Amino acid sequence: MPRTRKTLSILVAAALTVTACGRSGTAGTPATATTVGTGPATGTVTLWAQGAEAEKLPAILAEFEAANPDVTVTVTPVPWDAAHSKYQTAIAGGTTPDIGQLGTTWMSEFTAAGALAAVPADLGAGPFHPGAVASTRFDGGTYAVPWYVDTPVLYYRTDLAARAGFRQPPATWDDFKNLAKAMQTRAGAEYGVALAPRDFQGFLPFAWSNGATLTTPDARTWTLDSPAMIEAARYYQSFFTEGIADRTPSTDPGAYQAAFTDGSVPMFIGGPFEVAALADLGGPGFAAKYATATLPRARSATSFVGGSHLVVFEKSANAAAAWRLIRFLSLPQTQVAWYKATGDLPSAQAAWDDPALAGDPKLAVFGRQLQDVDSPPSTAEWTRLQDAGNAQMERLTVSGEDPARAMATLQATAAGIGTGAR
Amino acid sequence: MTARRVLLHAALIAAAALTVLPFLWMLLGSVKPDSEIRADPAAWLPHTPTLDNYRQWFGALRIGTYFGNSVLVALVTVLGNLLFCSMVGYALAKLRFPGRRLLFGLVMVTLMVPGVVTFVPLFVVVARLGLVDTYAGLILPFLTSPTGVFLMRQYLRSIPDELLEAARIDGAGEFRIFARVVLPLCGPPLATLGILQFLASWNNFLWPLVVAQSQDRYTLPVALSLYSTGEQATDYGLLLAGSVMVITPIVALFIALQRWFVQGVATAGLK
Repeated sequence: MPRTRKTLSILVAAALTVTACGRSGTAGTPATATTVGTGPATGTVTLWAQGAEAEKLPAILAEFEAANPDVTVTVTPVPWDAAHSKYQTAIAGGTTPDIGQLGTTWMSEFTAAGALAAVPADLGAGPFHPGAVASTRFDGGTYAVPWYVDTPVLYYRTDLAARAGFRQPPATWDDFKNLAKAMQTRAGAEYGVALAPRDFQGFLPFAWSNGATLTTPDARTWTLDSPAMIEAARYYQSFFTEGIADRTPSTDPGAYQAAFTDGSVPMFIGGPFEVAALADLGGPGFAAKYATATLPRARSATSFVGGSHLVVFEKSANAAAAWRLIRFLSLPQTQVAWYKATGDLPSAQAAWDDPALAGDPKLAVFGRQLQDVDSPPSTAEWTRLQDAGNAQMERLTVSGEDPARAMATLQATAAGIGTGAR
Repeated sequence: MTARRVLLHAALIAAAALTVLPFLWMLLGSVKPDSEIRADPAAWLPHTPTLDNYRQWFGALRIGTYFGNSVLVALVTVLGNLLFCSMVGYALAKLRFPGRRLLFGLVMVTLMVPGVVTFVPLFVVVARLGLVDTYAGLILPFLTSPTGVFLMRQYLRSIPDELLEAARIDGAGEFRIFARVVLPLCGPPLATLGILQFLASWNNFLWPLVVAQSQDRYTLPVALSLYSTGEQATDYGLLLAGSVMVITPIVALFIALQRWFVQGVATAGLK
């Protein structure tokens, strides 16, 4: 079944490219944006949202509907694992809703297909975390409003770290590795840290933190074999060659969470949703045994930023009301209420001043980490390159390939794929 | 001789156990709380059995709606296939008309084209017809299938021409021959076709996902994926309880039609 879905996405992507060529002027040139205005919204607005978001939306939307009595919002929940296919086919068939929830990494694909409407100049939402804004831009236009953000930070067991002699979170790469080793030698951990042996995306924060970039500034050439990249790969590899990280961790879902709660692998890098998962798994009192921290620093301490954007589709019949709804969802007070309902981290910077977020030390870490984030180019080429990247990571971590050679191989593959920059 | 029998039975029981164990795990898991499902080492029997997962499905998640949709879509699809595939199969097997071989060739070609290739064009056609988010959109494209036509044609070729000629001499029209002489002989392949199409429709995920654009039209597999699989986490309790309910009708159907099914597959293979 996953193979079928993958084939399907490729086919749909091909179909989209064909339709995009057939339509003139939609892709590339920023469309004349509608204006939002300030009056109440009217008519029907359809909104597709994924899983948990769709479940929690109606309660939040009640306030919007009370303020705009003439508007009806219909929320259709879309399963996460098939959402991408659903949006793709809807675009191909011209049956898109007014508003969609798009993963940040899907943006350029859908914007390039000419499916998204440009954000009106008078929307007046934000300011948002700069890391989240980057993926809303395409060819000089803005096509989405950040809804919530997601960034991995370091989770570590404070009780075991104290036993290993560390009272502070690891600040530098050296600290990080020393702590991981000490967890094994002095705190009884089987492995010091859970790192993904074959996940290129999981390696990216290390590359960025070491000052490496994926492409040249003009985004036309991959730079995957730069000295900074190779050095980062060598550092990442050392965790596996020195036995600090498991080369063959269990792939059972949630295995690393279980290993974290039982102390056998007392560190991992994970997103905000882990807090709730660990509370479920660890039971009462476990929250006092661990803390979150911003990633350890080399030249910088850069993490990955993901999340979801809200978009209005080009074919929307009620774009004005749709944009008003999006404006409502991006207000700081709505985003705080949304965070309380779902745990989704607010994209609006002002929302982070609210005591609900600023007062929770585990969460405030995410706010600080969001000041230093990056994301890979959201192109179809990147999606293809990731597979090659995963394969080289495996050579690096499992087979012990020389980092310079692995990254050179990856660079050669990448050069063949191209960056997709125009 | 007896030693061979014992060996044979031991092998069969082992194979059957291997097949049944995952289902047993699913069934037992569906009455466990999430922490027990993820527990390591895992235990077969639930420590604190709970019906919470089922309660959620029948309560807030309105499984009845999705179940009803799945049943409606599957039943109409099966009926359509039984009728249309047998008619087309009969025409291709027994009627002489120009272009018959070409038509059969075309059916065989569509049989060989993977579904994912026609998926998007099919969706665009359904969308242009304005059938998105309707039951018609969910059912219409699957009312007949090349596999079904092929299966029926192969079986129908085994019916002696003399039988049909006798009916013709007795003055029966083509439709009467089809309905009164041919169809009553087609029990086994129709049962096979019915089960295959029911399974295909019941398990279909991508098409209803894409065509149903409001929650009220979602079928069981879509709802299952919707509620159990999140962006980063999976609710295994809900997933297992939902899977039990998705599978139960299929197992019941198979047990009810087992005799026909086995016979149908065996004879279809022989012709």
